[in-house]
Amino acid sequence: MNGSNDNAVPGKLFKAMTEATGLLRRPQRALPLIQRLVSDKLHSTFEQRHLCSYTTTKRPSGDALNSLLRWIIDAQRPDGGIAAYYSLLTGYSQSYPEVTGYIVPTLYDFARATGDDRAVSVAESATRWLLSLQIPTGAFPGGLHRGPATHESQPSVFNTGQILQGVVRAHVETNRPEILQAAVAAGDWLIKVQQPDGSWSGPAAYQNAAHTYYSMVARALAELSDDSGDRQYGFAAERNLDWVLSHFRPSGWIDGIDLQGHPNYLHFIAYVLQGVLECGILRQRNDAIEAVAKSSWVLLRKFETNKFLPGAFESDFKNGQHFTCLTGNAQMSCVWLRLFEVTGDLRYLNTALKMNEMLKQLIPTRGGRGIVGGVSGSHPIWGRYQPLRYISWGNKFFADALLLEERLTLAFAASGAFEALRCAS
Amino acid sequence: MRIVILSSSVYSETACAMAVRLCESVHVPVGAIALPAANRGTLLRKLGQWGAKDVIRYARTKLIPQRGEKQAQVRNPYLQPLLKHKGGIFRSLRKVAKCYDFPVVICKDQNSPDSTKQLKAWSPDLIIFTGGNILRKPLLDLPRLGVLNVHLGMLPEARGMSSPEWSLLNDVPVGVTIHYINEGIDTGPILQRCEFPDAARCASLSDLRNRLIAFGIEKAGEVVANLDRGAISATPQSHLDEDRQFFVMHEWLQARASERLTQSQSAAMAGR
Repeated sequence: MNGSNDNAVPGKLFKAMTEATGLLRRPQRALPLIQRLVSDKLHSTFEQRHLCSYTTTKRPSGDALNSLLRWIIDAQRPDGGIAAYYSLLTGYSQSYPEVTGYIVPTLYDFARATGDDRAVSVAESATRWLLSLQIPTGAFPGGLHRGPATHESQPSVFNTGQILQGVVRAHVETNRPEILQAAVAAGDWLIKVQQPDGSWSGPAAYQNAAHTYYSMVARALAELSDDSGDRQYGFAAERNLDWVLSHFRPSGWIDGIDLQGHPNYLHFIAYVLQGVLECGILRQRNDAIEAVAKSSWVLLRKFETNKFLPGAFESDFKNGQHFTCLTGNAQMSCVWLRLFEVTGDLRYLNTALKMNEMLKQLIPTRGGRGIVGGVSGSHPIWGRYQPLRYISWGNKFFADALLLEERLTLAFAASGAFEALRCAS
Repeated sequence: MRIVILSSSVYSETACAMAVRLCESVHVPVGAIALPAANRGTLLRKLGQWGAKDVIRYARTKLIPQRGEKQAQVRNPYLQPLLKHKGGIFRSLRKVAKCYDFPVVICKDQNSPDSTKQLKAWSPDLIIFTGGNILRKPLLDLPRLGVLNVHLGMLPEARGMSSPEWSLLNDVPVGVTIHYINEGIDTGPILQRCEFPDAARCASLSDLRNRLIAFGIEKAGEVVANLDRGAISATPQSHLDEDRQFFVMHEWLQARASERLTQSQSAAMAGR
């Protein structure tokens, strides 16, 4: 998830005041808040950190997956969009176009894996809502939903790319021409505003700067190229891929996340890796896969050694902060599982299984709507990334990780070995 | 040759068996250093790290041998021939030390100044590591020859944890490697790689581990004898630039490794 462009101090102050007065408006939220704070304090005090912490399955993955999807379905607003988060102070947020977009593939994957048609109807109404938001230029707006799309709506490169993932998948599933038309319009706009070096900067980019985590936009363009058969989107994706790859250091660290006023959250580091990896697989670029493997291995070692991935890092993965970003953890699980699929190296699968065990243990099984099955921004919940909130993109990425786990473990158990994808190096 | 044994506890069966193996081949250690078996500090630290359930299991395994001297069985049945002694069983390193006349010193940390001071006093040619802390450079530099370790996997293919299981899953020969410890994880120079010929006869993964431990102790005894005669030298490991470390295996993969073991049993039966 990208932050909104509204980054001024008065805006931040207003947000903080709204959050703080949430409890005054709905005092009944105090009890779940206190329960969660106490539970996280106890958990972080007696956390199990020995080598075998996450090697045993304490909660079945299917059970956790159902609970995650139930949370997403409950978070759908009457307009069809998915709320960005459930705050322990203020409850559900407004619909969030960006997250609604990239949750669509997860909903279809879940429906395919489980035969649950509710997920398909949620995906269809979410797609209808997204198409209603498209700006006439083809772009999609940034930030939370604030009304119907007009020429004045502020276009956002990153949100357009993220929504494009969902729109492309909706077309693949439904084969409806108006959905493809919307995807092509978004793709054309992205190419139009792309810089000659392959990056995206300017007014439609967050903080007007180019960011390496926009590799997720490149991934969406690569998917559009495959779906539409139009190679120009693939070439645009590779231009960005080349630009992002030039920011990988020999240590595995990636420069150019460049979020002013924010630390380098694991969520954004994992975005870069996911975008480059998926784009690399689609475009059969071994250089991209190898670069991701190198960075991912650094994080794998950190998780295996410390049983913990810090929620934010400084340059070269130094000075990790003392909270964990659960969304980033789930994204890394997805990256490791895909690397296992690509390379056949079982160590990636092993670490992803352990990461999923850790995340399953942190999903609430008790509480009200918005809490049960929710993935909090940070652990402990007062950590710096999205404090006191259960965030929909956390659910999306963890559901993706569990769906991948199920698919890959079934394939491995059936064959007894794993045949790497054709793009494997 | 002056040999010192490092052990994770005075009740470590592996350390006891290793000491007996050395003593029987006329290489009686000059001493042994063991970590405390179970004290309040260890239990509190482990309570924080492991949680109550695992601490109870740990305490049970550490305390039962103290009371259970009369017990006839050992946890690893393949060590029983070495641990048998005058109708009883060596259950503690202290008992082995008393029988063969060498001192045992308890230290809270094998890298501690107390431990280093004691080691300097013994001036060992060789230290044999059977468990305990991650060893730091000052200790590694102390013995004339080095610190020897028995790794339950073939190096450099299977560095790190869960080596027998990873070997099965990755179609790498199961075996042990006798090597010197350096500052890396299982990256030190190799003295001997020994493929284990009976993997297909193992009933389970724990059976395989137990057999490998006994096999490793036997091979370590041979290596020590060869070192004493000057008939063996260490070879630096290849592929040090590649990260070949493996980590503790998740139970789902362990189950797959177990299936591989069963398959190899079936193949061996069919081949007979």
